[in-house]
Amino acid sequence: MAVKIIESCVNCFACEPVCPSKAIYEAKPHFLVDPKKCTECEGDFPVFQCASICPIEGAILNSLGEAINPPGSLTGIPPEKMAEAMAELQSH
Amino acid sequence: MQLPVLNDAPASKGGCSASSCGSTDNQMDTLPDSIREKVQNHPCYSEDAHHYFARMHVAVAPACNIQCHYCNRKYDCANESRPGVVSELLTPDQAVKKTMAVAANIPQMTVLGIAGPGDPLANPERTFETFRRLSQEAPDIKLCVSTNGLALPDAVEELSKHNIDHVTITINTVDPEIGAKIYPWIFWKNRRIKGVKGAKILIEQQQKGLEMLIAKGILVKVNSVMIPGVNDQHLAEVSKVVKSKGAFLHNVMPLIAEAEHGTFYGVMGQRGPTHDELQDLQDACSGDMNMMRHCRQCRADAVGMLGEDRGDEFTLDKIEDMEIDYQAAMEKRKVIHQAIQAEMDSKRLEKAEKAQQHKQEPRLTTRPVLMAVATSGQGVINMHFGHAKEFLIYEASPDGVRFISHRKADQYCGGDTTCGDGESTLQVTIRALAGCEAVLCSKVGYEPWEQLEAAGIAPNGEHAMEPIEEAVMAVYKEMAVAGKLDDVNDSIRASA
Ligand code: SF4
Ligand code: SF4
Ligand code: SF4
Repeated sequence: MAVKIIESCVNCFACEPVCPSKAIYEAKPHFLVDPKKCTECEGDFPVFQCASICPIEGAILNSLGEAINPPGSLTGIPPEKMAEAMAELQSH
Repeated sequence: MQLPVLNDAPASKGGCSASSCGSTDNQMDTLPDSIREKVQNHPCYSEDAHHYFARMHVAVAPACNIQCHYCNRKYDCANESRPGVVSELLTPDQAVKKTMAVAANIPQMTVLGIAGPGDPLANPERTFETFRRLSQEAPDIKLCVSTNGLALPDAVEELSKHNIDHVTITINTVDPEIGAKIYPWIFWKNRRIKGVKGAKILIEQQQKGLEMLIAKGILVKVNSVMIPGVNDQHLAEVSKVVKSKGAFLHNVMPLIAEAEHGTFYGVMGQRGPTHDELQDLQDACSGDMNMMRHCRQCRADAVGMLGEDRGDEFTLDKIEDMEIDYQAAMEKRKVIHQAIQAEMDSKRLEKAEKAQQHKQEPRLTTRPVLMAVATSGQGVINMHFGHAKEFLIYEASPDGVRFISHRKADQYCGGDTTCGDGESTLQVTIRALAGCEAVLCSKVGYEPWEQLEAAGIAPNGEHAMEPIEEAVMAVYKEMAVAGKLDDVNDSIRASA
């Protein structure tokens, strides 16, 4: 059982120091979780530490491959609104 | 003594200028001389020093512990930089090397700040290692740091050990309800805390940190981002609170929100303040304390004089090859700093005399006028209109000349939505100067000349190399004589 950091990570370093298992490391092109070390914070904290500080929606997945912070959950921007704004920008 | 124009409030208030009147409890007047001296020569805090001294930022602190609605963490901390900027992240070792390389090559550089790209105090190890080493290896450089305040109380002890005399805290509100509209969440005691609860903790930490710094004798500047409809009505209150606790300067910055930055405010269509709204608020707050009007919201890795960025000369590969003898550089720097100091002192004296003279002349009853100035430093008009990337906005009135703000010549639209496509740079520049009735520069080309006149902004190249305040006053008097300023009641309120 382990979480996973994917390519939307912006390399902000925030998760690395808060991991109780030292499972997170700097890598190119983005930070990674060592699945052998990640404990899902079991025994240390009731919530995933990395996903509790990560500012990027969708950057960290749980062991089922689902975004722990789904779209809209951190920024408060409703996903439709975001899609709308992006479409608007693209049309320019 | 006469203070530099941190914020020269109009003399109309009680008949004495706020900076020299002993009866007002102006923060600057009550500062001990030693501290006042530091502030006076700080490019970010002193309006006249910023024409002479330079600052730099190093981007060593990537992580952040909160989210602001005007920030997209793909970019640098929006509290300190213009939004949408990405800085080159440095290790503390690289940052120390870069700082010393810049200090040796740009002797006017006196201040090193850590402002991001995230929150410096959310990266305590990287931030403090940089400070520790610079305090030892380059003791002639002042250090400063900016923070959102969440981790501040825990950092005060360590901060007080280094060469740090200024801390900037971004405080957008003292009300958790308003805070919840600005900060969607904070990371606190191993949890993400959302809404009012999170905002309340952040506000408490900011206020506690502010009090602790003051108790330690460290200067505190407060930054606020003005968000129309969210905290605009509330910032005068913030100003009062932070002043009563001992902050020496309050800097209100405009929200810059564009959809392409992908921020909450940008995407949701929250607008930024207009020039007028910003100036109104700055004026409202300045009754309470010193307002800083020359902040450029520079990038987390900016190098050079305010408004300029020479970062490209000091990229990692370039500094790798530089051999720096810092002892020798320090000697050289000392000599140059003394020369600049002497020049500033004499200019300050001159300015005070001119102001005195002005007071003795018969008082005009004309309305105030805004003028834009193109300068590359030294406090004189020495820049070609077409080369100016930004303009300094001054207000001339019967009370004298006061500095109001900076306006970017390009990229920046003042919060309105009329930024159409296909506008020429010249048109954008002219729009940025809206509200000004004259623009003073060393030279103006033929095409801009015509378009400026058409826009009601009189181009003026007659005061090249003259001190800014004098030239602005001279033009003001010419306008008065020409009968352009006659009816006080008829005036459109001067705005920036
Ligand atoms: S879930 Fe916990 S243990 Fe696993 S990487 Fe994240 S912080 Fe570390
Ligand atoms: S906190 Fe999120 S965005 Fe930042 S480095 Fe970790 S995974 Fe990447
Ligand atoms: S404190 Fe700075 S980096 Fe952190 S969210 Fe706010 S603006 Fe962004």
